[in-house]
Amino acid sequence: MLAFKLAIRNLLGAGLRTWLNVGVLSFAFVVIIFYNGLIDGWNRQGIKDTMEWEIGSGQFWTPGFDRYDPYTYTDAHQSVSDEVKQLIHQQKATPVLITRGTIYPQGRMQSVILRGVDPHQTILKLPTSAFDNPNDVTPAIIGKRMAQSARLQKGDKVLLRWRDKNGTFDAREITISAIFNCDVPPADNGLIYLPLATLQAMTGMENQASILIMSKDNQIEALQGWEYKSKDFLLKDFKELIKAKKGGGVVLQGLLLLIALLAIFDTQVLSIFRRQKEIGTYIALGMTRWQVVGIFTVEGAMHSILASLLGAAYGIPLFWFLNQKGITFGSPDVGITIAETIYPYYSLGLIVTTMLLVIISATIVSYIPARKISRMNPTEALRGKVQ
Amino acid sequence: MIQFIFKGIIRDRSRSTLPIIVVSIGVFLTVLLSGWMKGIFTDMIDMNANFSTGHVKIITRAYAENESQIPNDLALLGTDTLVPLLQKQFPQAEWVERIQFGGLLDVPDKNGETRAQGPAFGKGIDFSSPESKEASRLNIQHSLVQGTLPTKRGEAIITDDFAKRFNVKPGDKVTVFGSTMDGSMAFKTFIVSGTVRFGSTLLDRGAIIIDLADARDMLDMDNAASEVLGYLKTGQYNDEEANAIRDSFNTKYSNPSDEFSPVAQTLRQQNSLGQYLDMAENMSAIMTFIFVFAMSIVLWNSGLLAGLRRYTEYGIRLALGENKGHIYKTMIYEAILIGIIGTIIGSIIGLAATYYLQEVGLDFSSMTKNVTMMLPPVYKAKITPELFYIGFFPGLIATVLGNALAGFAIYKRKTARLFRELEV
Amino acid sequence: MKHIIIIVFSIFLFATQGNAQDAKTILQRLDENLSSTNRVVKSEMTIHGKRRSRTITSKSYTVGTEKSFTIYLSPARDAGTKMLKLNNQLWIYSPSTDRIIQISGHLLHQSVMGSDLSYEDMMDDRKLTEVYDATLEGSDTLQGRDVYIIKLTARVDDIAYHAQKLWVDTQRYVPLKEELYAKSGQLLKRVTLSDIQKIEGRWFPMKMNYKDMLKQGDGTDFTITDIKFNQNIPAYQFTKAALKE
Repeated sequence: MLAFKLAIRNLLGAGLRTWLNVGVLSFAFVVIIFYNGLIDGWNRQGIKDTMEWEIGSGQFWTPGFDRYDPYTYTDAHQSVSDEVKQLIHQQKATPVLITRGTIYPQGRMQSVILRGVDPHQTILKLPTSAFDNPNDVTPAIIGKRMAQSARLQKGDKVLLRWRDKNGTFDAREITISAIFNCDVPPADNGLIYLPLATLQAMTGMENQASILIMSKDNQIEALQGWEYKSKDFLLKDFKELIKAKKGGGVVLQGLLLLIALLAIFDTQVLSIFRRQKEIGTYIALGMTRWQVVGIFTVEGAMHSILASLLGAAYGIPLFWFLNQKGITFGSPDVGITIAETIYPYYSLGLIVTTMLLVIISATIVSYIPARKISRMNPTEALRGKVQ
Repeated sequence: MIQFIFKGIIRDRSRSTLPIIVVSIGVFLTVLLSGWMKGIFTDMIDMNANFSTGHVKIITRAYAENESQIPNDLALLGTDTLVPLLQKQFPQAEWVERIQFGGLLDVPDKNGETRAQGPAFGKGIDFSSPESKEASRLNIQHSLVQGTLPTKRGEAIITDDFAKRFNVKPGDKVTVFGSTMDGSMAFKTFIVSGTVRFGSTLLDRGAIIIDLADARDMLDMDNAASEVLGYLKTGQYNDEEANAIRDSFNTKYSNPSDEFSPVAQTLRQQNSLGQYLDMAENMSAIMTFIFVFAMSIVLWNSGLLAGLRRYTEYGIRLALGENKGHIYKTMIYEAILIGIIGTIIGSIIGLAATYYLQEVGLDFSSMTKNVTMMLPPVYKAKITPELFYIGFFPGLIATVLGNALAGFAIYKRKTARLFRELEV
Repeated sequence: MKHIIIIVFSIFLFATQGNAQDAKTILQRLDENLSSTNRVVKSEMTIHGKRRSRTITSKSYTVGTEKSFTIYLSPARDAGTKMLKLNNQLWIYSPSTDRIIQISGHLLHQSVMGSDLSYEDMMDDRKLTEVYDATLEGSDTLQGRDVYIIKLTARVDDIAYHAQKLWVDTQRYVPLKEELYAKSGQLLKRVTLSDIQKIEGRWFPMKMNYKDMLKQGDGTDFTITDIKFNQNIPAYQFTKAALKE
């Protein structure tokens, strides 16, 4: 306890020097938390967006369906059983029929994937209510990326050609009744959404679906005749990317922490050099050398405690502000899910881990110079003669 | 006097070693961190540049219209004159040709008949020229799961997922069936030299990377390329330079009324990367500022410490009758010299380390288990011009400032009390 | 009064029946004219690309509608490439790689050699009477000849084009124009046939132009340079072993 009291008194007594050290250390603190918070925020938002726009809480695929192989779409669809209808009715699942087609915007030819979705579904954020426009015979909704690549605008009509279940060609004009903006490229690139019933009628696949997208509160992991694909399976690519991003941050945080620790180290070396008489006095008063080492180590480590307080003082308002306002990244089309605005997420675990990391490392760098004390000759020290 | 102080610093180790070490380490960390920041904030940009957009990309106008379809019938022709022309006109960039194609990857059985097949995306890049940086640009070496890079014509890299799915091993044969630039059937059998992982399930399902010359041969694209990509020799994207190349090229060689005339686009113009680029630049500027600021505080502090460390010495010098102003001045000069020496040493080490990390990078694949991928697996730092002077802010200015502040203490000292203080 | 109505009605009924009969007969005669137990055809296909046109020559052996074997003769790049079709299976042999590649499923939808024809278009050669119901829609003149206009509507499900319109020469029973329609009635492809010649006692169109109506471009020209019917083709010709020779 004595060590703590002494440490506090000594540190506060040193004034500006202490506060500079503490300032830098608190910086390290705040930046580490900020960076990880940013990545966690991206991760959470990415998962949330992907779930809301594309995958739900999990999916059931018709056996043989493969989301990355459009050629499987032709055959991978099946009738929706009564059991499944029950789930759909309870808003626990929504059926999606997926097939291929070709559009001809201004005489150009572009392969597309057609997705039939229920206009009244609530599981995906797609603006399916736009299907209700009575003026549009075959209403379609597309994402902004698709709109850009096909050069289509809201209200445009474009010729769509597809094959029905027997391979017979069919073609008609569809009307773009809405263009949505989402951060999930796989829910947008090359896709055209049509009302489920329309696509079923167009392809002669009445009452059929390729996949079922499950709602948030879904508990079901097995359905007769369907293959369950969990959220983790569907999010695999994204999670790996986030993992790799975190790796890049480690170096950054490590270097920053090194800077702060360098300051503590420097301070410790100097205090031990300057305060030889004090050290000698402690020993003369009956303290063991290791007790004195303890006093100095605690004093150095105390920087980190003060740093967490200081960091909290300006970090909390800063984080709060960033969390309210978010950080805008623009909308890069780099093929990965990244929100235009990321709201950093700070978990308790992150804050506690960071604090432990900073405190432990500060203690270690305080201890290293302090070890020298244990080798000091007390009489020399009292006279201030140790070099 | 400077010479005198310099000699003092050199000869009196206790006066110089620790401060110079501290300044050097500080500057080293600042430089490395700034380079690292630049590197990781722009990795997504670099990945795009390396993989698809280049810093400047030249394609035909018609190809640009339908880029998502990989329309090789609209590819650039006459690249044997175009590329040397680009090299001559725009020597600030390295120009490379690439061919993209789609097709069927067909695995033969022992009778040469189809055993398995799947759709694939293909890329023809320059593996064979000794000066080609393409393989490292696509980070193929690091993404290899099995086997090696192609060492001769007729070898190919395929994705590991495809290889596993169809039980193909390095040394086995695969045939690409696609269509030539003219639409004829294209066939070519390759020996698999190795397998890679991209880290994108879509690409990993089926992709093949072959030598540009093989791609030309297979797709009947003599003298033609899907695209010519320009990479600035500085290694990093620079808007001004890229715009200059684009504008100059488009004015001279692009004809808006001819859909087959080439047109240049900068990285910023493609895939809506512009905004991300701005963001990455702002973000790394902010972070760099934070680090420089933090480092300045550290060095300021160490300047203060240096002043305090020599409290006794100054006391004796005052007692000997040295003018306070003179002591202060020598102290500042010393700080400047230490700052400069430390900054130079720190910058050199920092730049060397940054260069190392730029060329080799840090491979996190061991840390992030099962994440070996072509996209962003290895983190690389980046040497930018500002790294050459950025160390001076903390190294010199902060050190001097710290010393200057500590030096004020000299003026507070009373000659009458000096001997009491100096009593030992 | 009642009688008159019945008479008028039956005349009308007979008339329409007569027409349907006519359309069917026309179609039958057309099928007789165009299909044969076997044939050997040398042809040129000119594909008008966006940049340049190119001509591919080939020789094919066809038996009925199930078996066909094609060997490409020129240009040099394609020479020696062979294609074997048995029912709905297709194999392609490439001499440069000495490989036989099977084309199945979705790949049959791809265009052949960049033309406006897909493999599937080439492969589906069931007799029109087998798969379509015909009605006579009227008559016209085309290429200076009198033609019947016949509307065909699919009777079977597994067919690429739900409806067709044929302009059939009234004397030679050869179509001069064909239009292929989607279920919705959208025109998808147009085939123009010309240079009708009498070969071994039957009229046959020697030139055809296929045009994908949704795509830009001039379509694909197909010219028969030599055609022989009822030849002696060994069964061996239609085996995979023949591909490798």
